[in-house]
Amino acid sequence: MLLVKNLSFYRNQKIIFENIDLSLSPNKIIHLKGSNGVGKTTLLKILTKGLQPQKGEIFWQGKNIFKNSSDYFQNLTYIMDINTSKKEMTVIENINFWKKLFSSKINSKELDSVLKILSIEKYENSLVSTLSKGEFRKLELCRLVIEQKKLWLLDEPYSDIDNESIELLSETFKNHIKSNGMIIFSSHHNPELQNTEVIEIKKNYETL
Amino acid sequence: MKLFNSILAVIYREFKLTFRNSYDILSILIFFILGILIFVFSIGPNKELLSQLSIGIVWTLLILATNLTFKKFYQEDLNDGNIYLLHISGISYEIIVIIKLFCLWIFFQLPFLIMIPVAFLLFGNNFENIYLVMEIFIISSLILTTLASISGAMNLLNNKNIALGSSIIMIFSIPIIIFSVSAINSSVELIQPQINILLGILFLFLAITPWISAFCIKIAISNK
Amino acid sequence: MKFFLNPSEFNRISNLLVKPLFILSFLTLTLGLIFALYLSPDDYQQGSTVRIMYVHVPSAWLALLTFMIMTIYSIIGLTFKTPFSFIVNSAIAPIGATFTFICLITGSLWGKPMWGTWWVWDARLTSVAVLFILYILIIFFKKSFHNIEVGEKITAIFIILGSINLPIIKFSVDWWNTLHQPASISKLSSPSIHLSMMIPLIIMTLAFTMIGLLIGIIRIKSEIAQRKQRI
Repeated sequence: MLLVKNLSFYRNQKIIFENIDLSLSPNKIIHLKGSNGVGKTTLLKILTKGLQPQKGEIFWQGKNIFKNSSDYFQNLTYIMDINTSKKEMTVIENINFWKKLFSSKINSKELDSVLKILSIEKYENSLVSTLSKGEFRKLELCRLVIEQKKLWLLDEPYSDIDNESIELLSETFKNHIKSNGMIIFSSHHNPELQNTEVIEIKKNYETL
Repeated sequence: MKLFNSILAVIYREFKLTFRNSYDILSILIFFILGILIFVFSIGPNKELLSQLSIGIVWTLLILATNLTFKKFYQEDLNDGNIYLLHISGISYEIIVIIKLFCLWIFFQLPFLIMIPVAFLLFGNNFENIYLVMEIFIISSLILTTLASISGAMNLLNNKNIALGSSIIMIFSIPIIIFSVSAINSSVELIQPQINILLGILFLFLAITPWISAFCIKIAISNK
Repeated sequence: MKFFLNPSEFNRISNLLVKPLFILSFLTLTLGLIFALYLSPDDYQQGSTVRIMYVHVPSAWLALLTFMIMTIYSIIGLTFKTPFSFIVNSAIAPIGATFTFICLITGSLWGKPMWGTWWVWDARLTSVAVLFILYILIIFFKKSFHNIEVGEKITAIFIILGSINLPIIKFSVDWWNTLHQPASISKLSSPSIHLSMMIPLIIMTLAFTMIGLLIGIIRIKSEIAQRKQRI
């Protein structure tokens, strides 16, 4: 359902990556690997229309996302490298905001169970500024469950969280795949997941 | 319908965040009062002189106070990724700009419209047509908010130059000042056409600001 | 056409243009100065000081022309994303700033004997002063960004916004009747200025335009070379 053809991106006369092809159908995971600075975040940004590629096209269900993106965005959740929850609001206020923003149909029981599993339910009514770095990241990952979208794009989701949560995340991925979801994530970790295609991006030293 | 609910959610969050930081608004008001005091001390307690200069002083302070607010438009939301998040949730950049214009006008310009009659009182100005004067100030404060939005969007990736954003606001507010002050000082027959000119400038800026600010935000996002 | 948009075409053609432009500008400047300083008559009211006009008006015209060229290139650069347009912008901005400065200084020198004051806040003077500040801000803008591409694009937007000042300068003497005289040279009505003064004016304008073009072309070439070296 997601098709990437011949994607090339240049910056400041340097080639970041060239001629990348991806294809993602339901029940499938793509794991982007590569050393630091090789372009994984750039690729994810291009996939969410934050950057314009110099060459190549991206199709979601046959439509070019650069011409018609509303359908694409309605089916997409993007967890970035930075956390978007507001520090001056409490955890539950941030979650309620995300619920309304994405018109989510999740009910409060499911939400409570998610918070409990991630062991941040005791912070429900405290400001996000009091959370530690890992709990801050876990709150961001709650968005995956709240938004209930098909395609998940994640940038380094396994970093900053404890081992329990790492296993939890892998479980969540597996459940999502079983219910016809699709995932693309970049990580240095090697989680054990089925149906995974590993794409290694190599460092490119050529210039234009 | 979904889009409307998302926009309402964003506006509600903006209100909540600004109320939590209410000291921000109050300190800008204190800045305004201190500005009046500084002008009074530097010009001297001459009552006629002060009442003649009052419009100019109030205008200067309004623009200086707007200079302080342009950073609050987009910088923080760009840094923690919220602008990108809102874009992916289906709200286009132009609508984000309009939401920000609305919220920041209410929080950072409307308090001044309460302070301005007080300032005129302190300077001993009696305006017969105080309603028209306030109308002119309301229109001009909207235009200043749009200028601050453009300046805030242009300065998103600018870390080196601190006075540049203020310079942009000040240089484009010169024609606004010319028209508003001549409107306030003109006779009753001529005041309505001058207000119409100001309204024309306002609608022009309301039309181009979302487009220009969204363009600058896109540039900032792709180059972060 | 490619001369205006493509750096290598520009380099090739401008190499052929530099020498003739240099000679032409030297000739027209000499001719213009001879006409302006010797052969043109004194004004019956102002005496000899009217000759400052022959420097003041051409530099004003050139200041406006440079801004217009920058605006056109900014629009082209933002729509078609050609990097050459931004090169032209950054190359000719200082030229425009210098000519505006010359215009303001000569205007001030002219104003003292004629109106008795160095400066007055009339509409045209103020808007030309604003133009000068716009030029300075444009030069600063580019240098304030770490990323050159971002700086260029945002400067281009700023130039387009600032181009509102151009019609204000042109028509300010018609809209607000203050100190400056209304336009004396217009295509629709016969000029109200005498031929013997108009000829040196036109020649000096041509001379200034050619000098401006010459310096502009040299600066653009050096800007292109600088960019090539950076890569």
